[in-house]
Amino acid sequence: MKRQGNFSREHALFLKKYKQNTAVVWSFRIGILIVLFGVWELFASLNWVNPFITSSPSRIAKTVYSLYQDGSLFYHIGITLSETLLGFLIAVVGGTAIALALWWSDTLRKILEPYIVVLNALPKIALGPLIIIWFGTGTKAIVFMTVLVGIIVTILHMLSAFIATDGNKMLLLRSMGASKVQILQKLVIPAALPSFIAMLKVNVGMAWIGSIMGEYIVSKAGLGYLIVYGGQVFKLDLVMSATCILCLLAALMYFLVVLLEKTIVKNPNR
Amino acid sequence: MKKEILRFRDVKLVYHTLRGETIAVENLTFSLKEGEFIAVIGPSGCGKTTLLSLAAGLLPPSDGEVLNDGLSFGYMLQKDELFPWRTIEKNIFLPLEIKKINTAENRERVKLLAEKYGLSEFLHSYPSQLSGGMRQRAALIRTLATNPDVLLLDEPFSALDYQTRLNVTEDVSQIIRSERKTALLITHDISEAISLADRVLVLSARPATVRFAHELDFGDVVNPLKRREERNFSAWFERLWRELNG
Repeated sequence: MKRQGNFSREHALFLKKYKQNTAVVWSFRIGILIVLFGVWELFASLNWVNPFITSSPSRIAKTVYSLYQDGSLFYHIGITLSETLLGFLIAVVGGTAIALALWWSDTLRKILEPYIVVLNALPKIALGPLIIIWFGTGTKAIVFMTVLVGIIVTILHMLSAFIATDGNKMLLLRSMGASKVQILQKLVIPAALPSFIAMLKVNVGMAWIGSIMGEYIVSKAGLGYLIVYGGQVFKLDLVMSATCILCLLAALMYFLVVLLEKTIVKNPNR
Repeated sequence: MKKEILRFRDVKLVYHTLRGETIAVENLTFSLKEGEFIAVIGPSGCGKTTLLSLAAGLLPPSDGEVLNDGLSFGYMLQKDELFPWRTIEKNIFLPLEIKKINTAENRERVKLLAEKYGLSEFLHSYPSQLSGGMRQRAALIRTLATNPDVLLLDEPFSALDYQTRLNVTEDVSQIIRSERKTALLITHDISEAISLADRVLVLSARPATVRFAHELDFGDVVNPLKRREERNFSAWFERLWRELNG
């Protein structure tokens, strides 16, 4: 957008309207959060709801603070975060690589198609007992679960993006004498970049599902562990605290992907 | 007498699908001389595009021979097929990258070509910022980037609106003539064929074969709009129209 010194009256009005709209959106966004937490706190402090069951914002704050004081807050966050990120990374890189291989060889794709379809439909949690027996009860099992949840979606998403490459552009490259590697490099991969970003966004959600699910099955530490443990001993403050932290982390990771999108997709006109 | 550089001899091409086989092209014989501009017209779906793929060696003929030894080809398609994530400059350098001749010298040559034909102010723009006519012009510069011996034009104007189409036809004709290129144009537009070519081939319905071949007699008049004003233009139109539909 070009900035000009003096706008026409109409343009100034347009800008004003745009700013007003943004202000309305943001004040409602924040307003809803404040009202939600306010009502929650009020109801709990007036004992209109049982804070033992519903917890309350102030009790959550206290719980988080005490976790922070005994040093376990960042310990648990660190464990879950590293499991999630590692699983996310392996799923994204591995899934994309497998999708590339499947794009490369039609025959391989045809052979593996039914397996991928079945694996995609299978609820991964069904593999829980196997994972415990194979990978033990440590980090490895949780990361494996995270990868499992993310990788199939990644393969399917990226494969359909690679296959959707414009046939005429391929013909054009072939007429220039391009090799398959060059077609991949110059056309298929850059054309799939927007799909790759969309896939990253989907995978942020998948990775958290995988890691928390993993921690539900086997874990000695982490946010998922805190939620399960809190539920078992009826410490709903702990459950709510861990859930709120999860919300923050998931949002943070999503925004990092959006930031990445803004830096690598430079051309807004594509 | 100019040298014949591309020759089709009794070429046959069969497409195979699970439902059966289709003979797209049969007994196809013609040749293209150096510096010549041939237009090929034919009923729709008669295998005109197949002919270009055969010429470029992208499809091996089922029978007969395509002699295109040592020739390099530049393809221009119906749509410009510019890559939206590349600037115009990067788009016209693409063939250099593919052929691994992306040297400063070659880039300079292609850039000069682009500037000569009015693209200088758009070099750093993205395709979406250009009009349809400008985009097709950029596509032609990309086609010329590797200095190919033969240009294969697959209905390159048919996606443009009429006004733009006449202008771009004019531009492209001028560029091809002044760069002294040999060209093979596929089109379904009879007047386009007459206004551009030295020679017109009329193909039959599938399986395509050459039914008529005409040397056009416009003398020195190569400008498409000027040709449209010539006396024999409408005579040629009627004749070709009858041959196509006869």
